[in-house]
Amino acid sequence: MEKVILIKYGELSTKKDNINFFLTKLKDNISYVLKDEDASIDYDLGRMFIHTSNIDRVLNKVKNIFGIHEINICYIIESISFSEVEEEVVNLLKGKEFSTFKVESKRSNKKINTTSVELSKNMGAYILKNIPNLKVDVNKPELLLNIEYRINNTLVYFEKVKGLGGYPVGTLGKGLLMLSGGIDSPVAGYMAIKRGVKIEAIYFESPPHTSQEAKNKVISLARKLAIYNQEINLHVINFTKIQEEIYKNIPHEYLITIMRRMMYRISAIIAGRRNCKILINGESIGQVASQTLTSMRAINEVVKLPVIRPLACFDKLDIITLAKQIDTYETSILPFEDCCTIFVPKHPVINPVREKCEEYEKLIPYEELIYTAIKNHEVLKIGPKEENAYEDLL
Amino acid sequence: MVYLDYSATTPVGYEVLDTYNRTNKDFFGNPNSLHELGVKAKNLMNSATKQIAEIFNVNENEITYTNGATESNNIAILGVALQNHKKGKHIITSRLEHPSVYAICDYLQSIGFEISYVKNDQDGLIDFEDLKSLIRPDTILVTICAVNSETGVRQPLKMIRQIVKKENPNTIIHSDMTQAVGKVSVNFHDVELATFTGHKIYGPKGIGVLYKNSSVVLTPILYGSGSVNMLNPGTPPVPLIVALSKAVRLAMSDIEKRERFIERLNNKIVDALSKYEGVMINKTKYSIPHILNISLRNIKAETFLHALEENEIYVSTNTACSSGNISNSILAIYNDKVRAESTLRISLSHLTTTEEVNKFISAFDEIYRRLSGLHS
Repeated sequence: MEKVILIKYGELSTKKDNINFFLTKLKDNISYVLKDEDASIDYDLGRMFIHTSNIDRVLNKVKNIFGIHEINICYIIESISFSEVEEEVVNLLKGKEFSTFKVESKRSNKKINTTSVELSKNMGAYILKNIPNLKVDVNKPELLLNIEYRINNTLVYFEKVKGLGGYPVGTLGKGLLMLSGGIDSPVAGYMAIKRGVKIEAIYFESPPHTSQEAKNKVISLARKLAIYNQEINLHVINFTKIQEEIYKNIPHEYLITIMRRMMYRISAIIAGRRNCKILINGESIGQVASQTLTSMRAINEVVKLPVIRPLACFDKLDIITLAKQIDTYETSILPFEDCCTIFVPKHPVINPVREKCEEYEKLIPYEELIYTAIKNHEVLKIGPKEENAYEDLL
Repeated sequence: MVYLDYSATTPVGYEVLDTYNRTNKDFFGNPNSLHELGVKAKNLMNSATKQIAEIFNVNENEITYTNGATESNNIAILGVALQNHKKGKHIITSRLEHPSVYAICDYLQSIGFEISYVKNDQDGLIDFEDLKSLIRPDTILVTICAVNSETGVRQPLKMIRQIVKKENPNTIIHSDMTQAVGKVSVNFHDVELATFTGHKIYGPKGIGVLYKNSSVVLTPILYGSGSVNMLNPGTPPVPLIVALSKAVRLAMSDIEKRERFIERLNNKIVDALSKYEGVMINKTKYSIPHILNISLRNIKAETFLHALEENEIYVSTNTACSSGNISNSILAIYNDKVRAESTLRISLSHLTTTEEVNKFISAFDEIYRRLSGLHS
C-alpha cells in the first residue's frame, strides 16, 4: 500500500478538447514548486497523483497552486479483492479519532458486479464490526471515507484539504498588473492569477519623493504574489521627471487624471513588449476621484488593450478581508509614500473631460518623457522566497 | 589555560565575532534612519530577528533586545508588576533564582508587593503542591528559572505552567532561561516571558533577549524614542543583534550531541572527585551536565579557586554574580549551611577537551592534598 497525494481538478474538468493543455500546465506548475522535493507526478483525465516520501511538506507546497479543487491524502491498495480492501481500510482507520462516519464508493471497474451503494454498505458494516464505538452518520459524518474501486487497484482516502480552485497559472496567457503598494492592487493580482493569468507587474517610483522603503514594500508584495505565480517580473519605472513636469505645467485639478493616463500609456507599452494581453489593476468603482466612471473612461481611453479590474465591484472591507487572507494586508498598510500620494491636489476633478486632458497634455513633451522612462526602466525577477543577502552574516 | 567557567561567560565564537565586525563596518547606519544606510541596517536587523524567532518558534514582534539577562529580568518582572498592581500584588518565585531576580523582588517588596518563595525538594525540583497552595487570585506573576545557575538543576516548566494556569489562568509566567538556552532544549511556549543572554552562548556581551508573548502587556520601565520596540527604546545595537542571531543559530545546532559529550566529561570529573572525603558533589538527578557544583568540607572555596588559578585553571565559587556570599541554591537544596559555605562551580562546554578535564583532575588532586587540613 502506498501513501500518495491525490489531486482533484474541479473546474478544469469541464474543459473538453484542450483539457490536456490545462493538465500539462498544472503538472508543470506542481513540478515547479516541488523542484526541491523528492516527488514524482502522474495523472489521468480525472486524477493527479504525487508520489513522495514527505507528504506533509509536499502538501503544504501544493495547496497554494491554482487549478486544484481538492487535495487528498490517499492510500493506493494494490488489490481489487473486497476482503483485502476491507482489512486494509480497518487497519488505516484504527487509531484515528472519530465517532461517526460515512462510506462513499466509486466503481470504475464495472466488472465488480456489486453496486456502489452496496459496496458502501458492506464496507460500513465491516468497519462497525471491527472498530468499536462507531456510528454511521450519512448527513454530517466526522469522517468521510472515500473508496474508489479501479481496474487494477483501489484508492482509499479520508483526509482532505480544500484546494484554491481557479485555473493553472499560465493557461490563459500573461497580464501586466499595475502594482502600487496599496491594499487593492495585490488582491487584484491574486484574483487574476487565480483565473490562470500569469502576471508581470509594473511599479512607478518617484525618487526622491518616494523612498527605497516604498519600493521594498512593493517588492515584498510581489514576493507574496510570486507564491502563486511562480515568480514575478517587476518592472520599475522611474516616474519622477514625468510627475514633476505634470506638477509644474498642468492645472492641479487634472494632476491625478493626467498622471494616470501616463501610467496607462507606459503600462500598455511594457505589456506589448512583454506579450501581456491585458492590464490588471486594483481600481474599484467610486473609491477615489480617479475611480469614478467618468474618470475611468477618461483614463482608460489612452490604451487599446483590455483593462481588467477584478475589484471593480468590491467593497473596501471585502477587499481588506481578501488582503488579509493572502497575507498582503500587513505589508500594504506600512506607511510609506508612493507616487500616488505625493503631489495630491486639494480638489481633484471628479468628472474629467477628455478634450481638456488632451489639451493639457500638450503642455508637456510627454511622448519623449515616456520614451526615456521606458528606456531606463529596471526589471526585477522576484521569487517567492526572500533571497537573503546577509546569509553569511547570520 | 583550562577554562571551566562557561556558565559565567563564554568566549565569543570566531564566526560570531566576524559577523559583529563586518556588521559594524558595513552596516553602521541607524536602523531608525530613513535613508538607504538606515534601511539596509534595518533589513539586516529584521532578518536577524526573524532567524531568532524562527529558531524559537515565536513571532518576530515577541522579541525585545536588551543589554543582557539582568535587564531582561527587570523589564519583565517590573513590567508585569507595574501593569498589574491593581489586579494583585502577589509574586511567586523560587529559592533557586539568579540574584538579579531577588534584587528586583526585594525592591518590589519594599514598595508594597508580597513575594512568596516556593519550596523545592531534595533534588532541587519545585514542590508542586507548595506551588499550587501559594497561588491566589491576586498572584500576578510566577518567575522560576529554567536551569539554576549554580547547580544546573532544571525545572519542568511545562508542568509548572499547567499547575499555575489551572489555579489562576491570569497569572503570568516568567522564566530566566539564561543557563538553559543553547545548552538544553527550551520551549518559550511554556511561559509568557523568557530571558536569555548572548554571552552565555558564545555571543557578544551586552546583548540579551526578552521574549514576551503577544498576549502579555508590560508597562515599560524605559522611555525614549525609536519605533522598533516600546520596551527598550533607542537606537538598536545592530551589530550586537546580528551577532547574537548568529550565536543563537550556532548554539542551537547539535544541542543534543553536545549534551551527550559534556555528560561524559561531567561523569569523569564526578568519578574522580567522589573519592575525596572532603568533597561533596552537589548533583541531583535534575542537574544538566554543563554545570557541576561541589562543596569543599575543610577548604575555603575561594582559596581553592586561586590555587587552581595558579595552574591557569578557571572555575567559580557560587556564581560570578554573587561571589563571596553563602550559596543560596545549595542551601535551598541541601539545607546544610556548611555545604553552602564553600562551593565550587565547574562549568563545561562542548569546547572542553578530555585533556583539559584530566589536567583539572590532577591539579585538583595536588591542591586538595596541599590545602586540606589547613583550614580545619
